[in-house]
Amino acid sequence: MPKISDSPKYKDIVCPFCSLHCDDIELDVEDNKIFVKSDINESCKKKFEQNNLNSITTISSQLNGKSESFDNAVKQSKKLIKNSNETVILNTSADVNITRELLTSTSKVNGIFDHINSETFLKNIDIYQRKGFMSTSLSEVKNKSDVIVLFSNNILENYPRLVERVLAPDNSFSIKANKKKIYVIGDKKNNIKQNLKKDNRIKYIDFNLRDTSILIESFITKSNETSLKENIFNELLQSINTSKYLTMCWATSEFIKNDNCYNIISAISEYVVSINETSRAACLPLAGNDGDVSNIQTTGWLTGFPSRIKFTGNYFEYDRDLYHANSLIESNKIDLVIYVNSISNKKLVLNNKNKNIIVGHPTTKYNIQPDVFIPCGIPGIDYKGLIFRTDNVVTLPLEAIKIPTHRSAQEILRRLVN
Amino acid sequence: MTTIHLKNGHVFDPTNRIYNKKKDIFVQDGKIVKSLKKKADQIINCTDKIIMPGAIDLHTHIGGGKVNIARLMLQEFHNNSDRDYDLTADFVPSTLKTGLQYIGMGYTSCFEPALLPMNARQSHAEMADIPFVDKGGYALLGNDDYLLSMISRGAHQSEINDYVAFILKASQCIGIKVVNAGGINAFKFNQRALDVDEQSIRYKITPRKIVNVLARAVYELGVPHPLHVHCSNLGVPGNFKSTIETIKAAEGLPIHITHIQFHSYGDNGDRKFSSASAEITEYLNKVPNLTCDVGQIMFGQTVTMSGDSMKQHKNHKHAHPKKWLCMDIECDAGCGVVPFKYRDQSFVNALQWAIGLETFLLAEDAEKIFLTTDHPNGGPFTSYPHLIKLLMDKTFRDDLLDRLAVDIKEHTILKDIKREYTLSEIATMTRSAPAKILGLKNKGELSVGSDAYITVYDKKLNDIEEMFAHPSHVIKDGILVVKNSVVQDYIWGKTQVVRPEYDVSIEKKLNKHFKKFNTIGLSNFVISNDEMSEVIGSDVNVNDCLRKRIS
Repeated sequence: MPKISDSPKYKDIVCPFCSLHCDDIELDVEDNKIFVKSDINESCKKKFEQNNLNSITTISSQLNGKSESFDNAVKQSKKLIKNSNETVILNTSADVNITRELLTSTSKVNGIFDHINSETFLKNIDIYQRKGFMSTSLSEVKNKSDVIVLFSNNILENYPRLVERVLAPDNSFSIKANKKKIYVIGDKKNNIKQNLKKDNRIKYIDFNLRDTSILIESFITKSNETSLKENIFNELLQSINTSKYLTMCWATSEFIKNDNCYNIISAISEYVVSINETSRAACLPLAGNDGDVSNIQTTGWLTGFPSRIKFTGNYFEYDRDLYHANSLIESNKIDLVIYVNSISNKKLVLNNKNKNIIVGHPTTKYNIQPDVFIPCGIPGIDYKGLIFRTDNVVTLPLEAIKIPTHRSAQEILRRLVN
Repeated sequence: MTTIHLKNGHVFDPTNRIYNKKKDIFVQDGKIVKSLKKKADQIINCTDKIIMPGAIDLHTHIGGGKVNIARLMLQEFHNNSDRDYDLTADFVPSTLKTGLQYIGMGYTSCFEPALLPMNARQSHAEMADIPFVDKGGYALLGNDDYLLSMISRGAHQSEINDYVAFILKASQCIGIKVVNAGGINAFKFNQRALDVDEQSIRYKITPRKIVNVLARAVYELGVPHPLHVHCSNLGVPGNFKSTIETIKAAEGLPIHITHIQFHSYGDNGDRKFSSASAEITEYLNKVPNLTCDVGQIMFGQTVTMSGDSMKQHKNHKHAHPKKWLCMDIECDAGCGVVPFKYRDQSFVNALQWAIGLETFLLAEDAEKIFLTTDHPNGGPFTSYPHLIKLLMDKTFRDDLLDRLAVDIKEHTILKDIKREYTLSEIATMTRSAPAKILGLKNKGELSVGSDAYITVYDKKLNDIEEMFAHPSHVIKDGILVVKNSVVQDYIWGKTQVVRPEYDVSIEKKLNKHFKKFNTIGLSNFVISNDEMSEVIGSDVNVNDCLRKRIS
């Protein structure tokens, strides 16, 4: 058992794993193993400490599931790239610097670049590409927002510390923190289960999120057309109408399966815009945890577009429909996909009709064996990096806290395409 | 490193009072040298060429959250049909295109004027991806809750100075800017306007007080660039009075009023909108320690982006196309992105165009006024050559005035102004003067020992706009990066910063504040030099302060 020292070696470490990117993590590293010392949610702790698994450090590159040297994996990948007529490079989780490299790599292979969550984040961008939008950021919500309406069935699963760090903090600068009102609207049972700490400021309201547009319309007309009980609806409406700084918060990923996803987030946004004619209110859409915001921002400043870009020679073009990677993969229209999955180890769904290369987190899961798997280091664990927080405003530094056992995704990509 | 000999050129180097003098310039190891010991690797015949230092844009929105929002918001203006590598619109170019276009026009240094400390890492990462040019940023203060609460509780000026110096270091900036002092913050508390002597509801302090303490802090710290001020009441008819009051708020200390065109409006006439350029320039001409940039508007589509969320929210009703975004940012500031089309059929827009030109032409000293369009707020920076022609060619200017779709001749004195800018004045306002006011050592000049940032224009081109749009050669860091008007290999510039001294005990106070109220810790707010070069991608160059801090 390694000795864990009393004073942590690292303070104020940024967590790379969810888009809140909490930066108050204290940890110790002994024998190149991480021990989280902060009193934080177990699931957050686990994400750091899973990097201590022997399987992470010992896993090597693989060809069709069999261990192979890195050089041979690169050689085989280069062969697949050379033989490919249409290559997709799919960002499935990366920070700013890996995204920079992804775009360079895609341009070198004349490929198509996309992010795995683009279908979701394009819905948010759609709002300000089509109409007005009032938004806010985490510290404003913490310090100024007196009424918060959160639409979610399981938001705390994806953003475990959202309540303690942002929505219901101990201290607020401009208002009395203990007077805040937080309404969590969605699957009440699940939301209560997830939020372990009891907090009188938080009220859970059972509601089918599919009907969110109707709820918003009811707020506008001041007439309850929803399944909510009158007293609950009236309390909610009263709180909204008397708020000094209302925040409406949601994760579009929770609405994406509804065919009225855009209508829902658009209705919330328009309502918030209308409130601002006389009072103050703002939206806080929460981004995905796969480096979505880093992808949007980096690709945005380098190309002018958020994703779905095709490079050809010295030229690139954006087409939201034509270069939608998931749709291209599903319809067997491409012959090679390079997944770059440096932070998350969520299961990747590969299509056996095309060749697959994964440059990924050592514990990346997949449904079928890829042709090539090359493990890479994790920014924020093995390598330094930069990552955008969910609110699109704050970018945080990722530290290298371990001695890396795998090459960085950037280095691997450079080897594959040069 | 290759050596370069610019032979027999017509040199304009205002710092050394050299105006149109036949001279040779020699370059070695990135510097201008007196002579070369052997024949230069590259000899450029400059017999028909004009040689100036590389140009400096001291106010251009090229990096940060609001710029990227605009890029993504307005992608329909990125032209997919044109088979060039980069198709982004000129008013919201990608980082790559920004660098290519600036260097292609002979600009070698550009400064982002609204860098939010909380958004600094993004701004620097974005600017690091702009090739060729040196970059820098002015940290936005004056709407952050921390400073306002300090002022409100009557904190000593020295404590404020410590805070300002800390922010410069933490956000890796070269100057301090204030936007609508206190107004952005007041908007978060639902205040919709804040005049210079009006108290904010929350902090009970006035914009005058905020401008005063910040101007004093910048001065006492010895920061070369004066407080960069976006005044209250942007765009409001009659706002020239509050502009003058804002200048007075500095109490004689150095102050730079930015995009002054947007703050030089009277409210006379049937339309209650008139030019106050005469009043403003009269003040500019007589008041020492006062400088400005113009923020000239150009007709056509653009996008307005500003930290001034109070005014941008009000302006969203004029959005073209009808979409916009406003944001409250981290108890630090705000932002508003509103696309806009300046139309010469519009009386207001046409008069704005004339007011900008009047301001340029009535300002007597080219060292006190700088050439900007507040890119992209008044128009894209790519319109600078056109703007230079407007200033240098009265006939051209008058013709355009005559051809405006709306007749504003009774409302502007433009036709009565005979002045035409000289090449020497253009060189001053785009080279030597911005270098001086930013404290950029060895830049904006062609002295021996200066950094070899040089632009060579083709004198044979009859059209001055064409000449300034496409210099024949540009040298950056001693490397020929543009040759015969064609961009050569990519190089990457540095980030220019200043580092005034401060009492580190301010960090203890801030650390406590951050822990309690912010959503990131102080240590992650600070950007180190190592992070700049190793992770963000831009090396830092620390410029000297004017003096040791006063208090």
